[in-house]
Amino acid sequence: MNLTAHSASMAETIAFAILSAGVLAGGLLTITRRNPVSAVMSLVLTFAALAGLFATLSAHFLAVLQILVYAGAIMVLFVFVVMMVNREESTPIARQGLCTRAVGVLAAGYVFYRVAWLVGHERGMPLLAASATPPVKDFGTVSSVGALLFSDFLFPFEAISLLLLVAVIGGVMLTRHVREDRPSRVS
Amino acid sequence: MPTYAYILVSLALFFVGAAGVLLRRNVLIVLMSVELQLAAGTLALLSFSRALGDQKGHVFAFFVMALAAAEAAVGLAIVVSVFRTRRTASLDEVNGLKG
Repeated sequence: MNLTAHSASMAETIAFAILSAGVLAGGLLTITRRNPVSAVMSLVLTFAALAGLFATLSAHFLAVLQILVYAGAIMVLFVFVVMMVNREESTPIARQGLCTRAVGVLAAGYVFYRVAWLVGHERGMPLLAASATPPVKDFGTVSSVGALLFSDFLFPFEAISLLLLVAVIGGVMLTRHVREDRPSRVS
Repeated sequence: MPTYAYILVSLALFFVGAAGVLLRRNVLIVLMSVELQLAAGTLALLSFSRALGDQKGHVFAFFVMALAAAEAAVGLAIVVSVFRTRRTASLDEVNGLKG
């Protein structure tokens, strides 16, 4: 019993290590690629590994949604826009204002260091040390998350659907081709 | 795995995205970095949700995902619109509102 639990935990650790390495490597590749197409492909790697991490958190519904929405829909959108706007940068990192940006990155790195130190230091507290055994049987399935979505969170759900509708209309309006002979309202 | 490991991965991913937003000048890569930050927030929500045994975090992760989709749609539409008028995708050259 103890041996099987230990080996399961070992497999879980290995899966977590591979997936988190994929997430971080994909993220770093995304922000360092010069060609936007390779950046999009690295982002697909990041989101696929992140979906695996969601699955290890027994968030099955969200893992599938991550693949469908991010790696499917949003990435296709990005690839289309990259095709329209593809200009390789000669200098991907701006020379102008590099000093202030470096200060910003250093500040962000310091905040990261402090928060990561805090999380590492407080890792014994019950919330952060809680290991991942599924608390209820159908935790994170479509039916249980959907039941919550259509009972307690019905109003936010409708609000977010309205937000998506507004985003769709806004996207169509912004990219609409304005004919030359007609005066355009959007200058 | 304990929750703090997931939180550390989420933090690292968030700050990778922040570095991308601060350093890169290509507006597409800046938008991708914002997506990275939102995904890191989703990971933190899901890991705390798992630690607390409460599925409300899943609902909010779902909302974050919908929000990211809306943000990507509007942001990319603005990128296309700006590229059409100014023929550039660099943030440093889009400074028409700068005083």
